[in-house]
Amino acid sequence: MAQPLEKVDRRDAKLALAHLFVAFAALALGGFAGLLQTLVRSGKFELPAGISYYTILTTHGVLLGLVLTTFFIIGFQFAAVSRTTGALSDGSRRLGWIGFWMMTSGTACTAFFILTGQASVLYTFYAPLQAHAGFYIGLALVVVGSWVSGFAMFAHYARWRKTHRGQVSPLLAFMSVTNMVLWLVCSLGVAATVVFQLIPWSLGLTDRVNVLLSRTLFWYFGHPLVYFWLLPAYMVWYAVIPKVIGGKMFSDSLARLAFILFLLFSIPVGFHHQLLEPGISPFWKYVQVVLTFMVIIPSLMTAFAMFATFESYGRSQGATGLFGWLRKLPWSDARFFAPFVGMLFFIPAGTGGIINASHQLNQVVHNTIWVTGHFHLTVATTVVLTFFGASYWLIPHLTGRVMTKAMNRLAIIQTIVWAVGMTFMSGSMHFAGLLGAPRRSAFSTYSNSPQALEWIPYQIAQAVGGTILFIGIILILVIVINLAFFAPKGETEFPVAEAAAPYERAALALENWKLWIGLVVALILIAYTVPIIDIIQNAPPGSKGYKLW
Amino acid sequence: MAKLITAARQTKQEKEPALKGTLASVFLLGFFVIFSWVSVYFLFLHRL
Repeated sequence: MAQPLEKVDRRDAKLALAHLFVAFAALALGGFAGLLQTLVRSGKFELPAGISYYTILTTHGVLLGLVLTTFFIIGFQFAAVSRTTGALSDGSRRLGWIGFWMMTSGTACTAFFILTGQASVLYTFYAPLQAHAGFYIGLALVVVGSWVSGFAMFAHYARWRKTHRGQVSPLLAFMSVTNMVLWLVCSLGVAATVVFQLIPWSLGLTDRVNVLLSRTLFWYFGHPLVYFWLLPAYMVWYAVIPKVIGGKMFSDSLARLAFILFLLFSIPVGFHHQLLEPGISPFWKYVQVVLTFMVIIPSLMTAFAMFATFESYGRSQGATGLFGWLRKLPWSDARFFAPFVGMLFFIPAGTGGIINASHQLNQVVHNTIWVTGHFHLTVATTVVLTFFGASYWLIPHLTGRVMTKAMNRLAIIQTIVWAVGMTFMSGSMHFAGLLGAPRRSAFSTYSNSPQALEWIPYQIAQAVGGTILFIGIILILVIVINLAFFAPKGETEFPVAEAAAPYERAALALENWKLWIGLVVALILIAYTVPIIDIIQNAPPGSKGYKLW
Repeated sequence: MAKLITAARQTKQEKEPALKGTLASVFLLGFFVIFSWVSVYFLFLHRL
C-alpha cells in the first residue's frame, strides 16, 4: 500500500495561502505598472490623466520588490516549517496571523499613499525626497509584521529542537530560520531610519535629515534584502528540486554551510551600493567590497551542488558523455523547468553583481539602467521563476488539488515567455547602461543630445520585452487562479529531497546560533561602527524634504 | 588478500560519483564570469 503523503496542516495551509494570495495580487498590480513604465520609456506613449511616471515606478518597485517577495517568502516558509517539523502550535499560528494582518494593513496604507501620488519616492525612498508620513508608517508596519511572523517560526523551531534533542533539524526548517535571522538583523537598519529619521521628519517634528546616514541604514538593509529574496529560491533548489527530478540532494551539509556563509557575509556589505558617495572613507568601502566578494563562495558552492545533483541523477539513469546527463532531466515538468531557467539566468545575474561590486567597474555602471537590468535578472527572473515553479506544487498541495497536464503545458509556455521577455528587456537595459543611460528617469531626449538618442532603440527593445513579460504575468495569474480554485481535487506532494549519502549527518555546530549570530554581530560592528560614527559626527547640517513630483 | 584490496578499491570507486560534467560546467561558468568582468574592466580603462 502506498504511503500517505506528508501534508502541511490544514490550518497552517490557510495561513500560507493567505500570504501567497497577497503576493500574487501585488504581482498583478505591480506588473501592470512595470508594463506602463517600459511603454513610457520607449517615448511612444504618455500616461493619461496627468499620472506621473514616478508614481508608477514607485508602485512597481514597492509592490514587486518588497510586497510580492516578502509575502511569498513568509507564506512559503510557514508551509516548509509546518511540513518538515509538524503543525504549528496555536500560539505560533496566532502570531503568524497577527504578522500577516500587520503586513497586509501596512501594504494597504503604503499603496494608498503611492497610488494617490503622495509618495513618489521610488522603492529606495532616498532622502531628501520626502513622502507622506503614511507611506513610511505603512512600511514600518510591513517590517514589524514580518518580525512577528519570524518570531512565530523561531518559536516553532525552538519547540522542535527541545523535543528532538541531539538531532539535526530538517533542512528546510533550518534554512527558513537562517533566512529569518538574516531578515531580522538586516531590517533593523531600515526600521531605524524609518522610525527615527523619516517618520519624524515627514511629520514635521524635525526639520532636516542626515541624508548619508539614512542611505547608509537603507543599504545596510538593502543588500541582505537581496539574499532574503534569494535564499528561499535556494531552499527550492537544494531541498526540493532533487526530489522533483527523482534524484537525491548532493550534500545536506554543503547546503547548510552555504546558508551560514550567506548569513555571515550578506549583511556587512552595504557600502558596495554607495561606492560613489562622498562622506564614506575609501578604506571602509574597500573592507565592505572584500566582504561582498566573500559571498561569491557560497554562490559558487550552490552552482557546483546543482550541477552535481543533476549530473548524479542523469548518470544514475544511464547517461554517458560529458553532458549526456542534461538529456535525462525532466524538461516537460514545469516544477523543474521554471526553476532551472531561473538558475541559468543567475549565471549572468551573479556575474553582473561581481561587476557592480568592483569599485572601478562600478564607475562604468553606477546609476545607469545596467543596474536595473541586473536586478531584473536576479530577483525578477532567478527568484521569481523559482517561486513560480514552487507555486506549481505548493498551491495545489495547500488547496488539495492537482495540476492538470494542460496547466503544466501552460506553465512551460509561461517560463519560455518570461525568459524571452526578460532577455529582451534586461539585455537591452544592460547594453543601454553601458552607453550611459540613466536609471530612475522618465523618457527624455535630453535636448536631442547624440548620446541620449543612442539609447532610444534599446528603450524600445525594453518596451517589447516588458510587453512580453506582461503576457507572462497574465499567464502565471491564470495558472495560479486555476490551481487555487478550479483545478481537480486531489493530493499533490510537497517534495522534500533526501541527501545522496544516507549516512550523512550535518554537524550540529551549524545550528549553534549563539556562535553564528555572534559572528554576524561582530562582522557588522567591524564593518559599520567607525564609518557610522564618522557619518554622524562629521555630518553637514542636513537636508529639508523635497517633493519634486 | 590482493583480491580483497581490489574489491575494496572497486567498492570505493563505485561510491565516488562521476562528476566530469560538473567540473566542465563550473569551468565554463568561471570563464564566463572572468570574460564578462574583464570586458567591463577594459571599457573602464578605455574611458579613463
